[in-house]
Amino acid sequence: MSTIAVDTILDSNNGTTASINGATPNAYNTVGKNRIINGNMVIDQRNSGASVTPTNGSYTLDRWISYASQASKFTVEQNAGSVSPPAGFTNYLGVTSSSAYSVTASDYFIIGQHIEGYNVADLDFGKSTAKTITLSFYVRSSLTGTFGGVLGNAGSRSYAFTYVVSSANTWEQKTITIPGDTSGTWQTTNSYGLTLYIGLGAGSTYSGTAGSWDGASYFNATGATSVVGTSGATLYITGVQLEVGESATEFEHRPYTTEHQLCQRYLEAIGLDTSAALWSGYGATTNYVNWQFKVEKRAAPTISGAVSGTAGGAYVTHALRYTNGSAYASFGYSGSYSPVYADAEL
Amino acid sequence: MYKLIPTHPVTNEELGIIRLSDNASIPIDEANRDYQEYLEWLAEGNTPEPADS
Repeated sequence: MSTIAVDTILDSNNGTTASINGATPNAYNTVGKNRIINGNMVIDQRNSGASVTPTNGSYTLDRWISYASQASKFTVEQNAGSVSPPAGFTNYLGVTSSSAYSVTASDYFIIGQHIEGYNVADLDFGKSTAKTITLSFYVRSSLTGTFGGVLGNAGSRSYAFTYVVSSANTWEQKTITIPGDTSGTWQTTNSYGLTLYIGLGAGSTYSGTAGSWDGASYFNATGATSVVGTSGATLYITGVQLEVGESATEFEHRPYTTEHQLCQRYLEAIGLDTSAALWSGYGATTNYVNWQFKVEKRAAPTISGAVSGTAGGAYVTHALRYTNGSAYASFGYSGSYSPVYADAEL
Repeated sequence: MYKLIPTHPVTNEELGIIRLSDNASIPIDEANRDYQEYLEWLAEGNTPEPADS
């Protein structure tokens, strides 16, 4: 075996560091470069691959939230339509329009992800040292044309962007480079840090001109194609990556367990196989069960679950102690809960 | 609609609320988005059902 021991590797022009496998390694494009969680859409704890009609502000696949100003205009399903994902991927998030709805000025339909402040604090947004970032993703739509999205904070800063789908029903990779925002207030702890919205249709109230930061709350780019405007239209997306730098690098494929654990900071589900996730066989009026979470939660979580009990087991369970690390719940009589969810989503 | 969870029998601290639509237990934590929704609901002039005694 040979060993290379050097201080610096330069490119052929004796300039910047040489490219290795198509990328110039630096502190931001190695392990942990992707600020998006579940960007390859492999985790779906809530729905296990089933189609859902999301309500306004409800989550679909892990970490992917939907907003809809009107009910029942689209569905979301992991691997909807069962098409082949792009090379290197096994899953995608599929949106299907449920009708031909004409958006009004105040309408919005979105799929997006709120990134926790801790995970983007180093971007220095809101400071003169704000870093340029690059968003990349694979998209496949039954429609062609110019589509839109927005990067922003919790409602006062927005950068609308557009991308073009050239061929219908064909996976295409899109890259959008966005200058860091030197203005605004950006959270750097456990609340909203940075939000990515993928527009499915929005009216003028929530649409902004693409290509610049604005002190506004937008959900889409002006003039973007409305997916909900065509019945049966599809928009599939996967390989979503947000990284520091002026160019997109290869998607960071994290180990499945790592991706799952990253999701569990925001949602932990047990008993998805219908086994008794939390169980009490003791027939007292009140039984107490402790649930130690696998991953510390972003905040004290909401506890919910499906009741499966014996006589008296239909009593509602109440979480009596909430911490980011565990919940302490009570049952009425004997009973079990399965599945049970601890939800600390943004 | 919401319902209060009985307070702690010793410390009398408030322990949370129940969202009646799905019987979810919501902590009193302003970083919890469900609790934020509850606060908005309260701000609209609504009142939760009292806790079971």
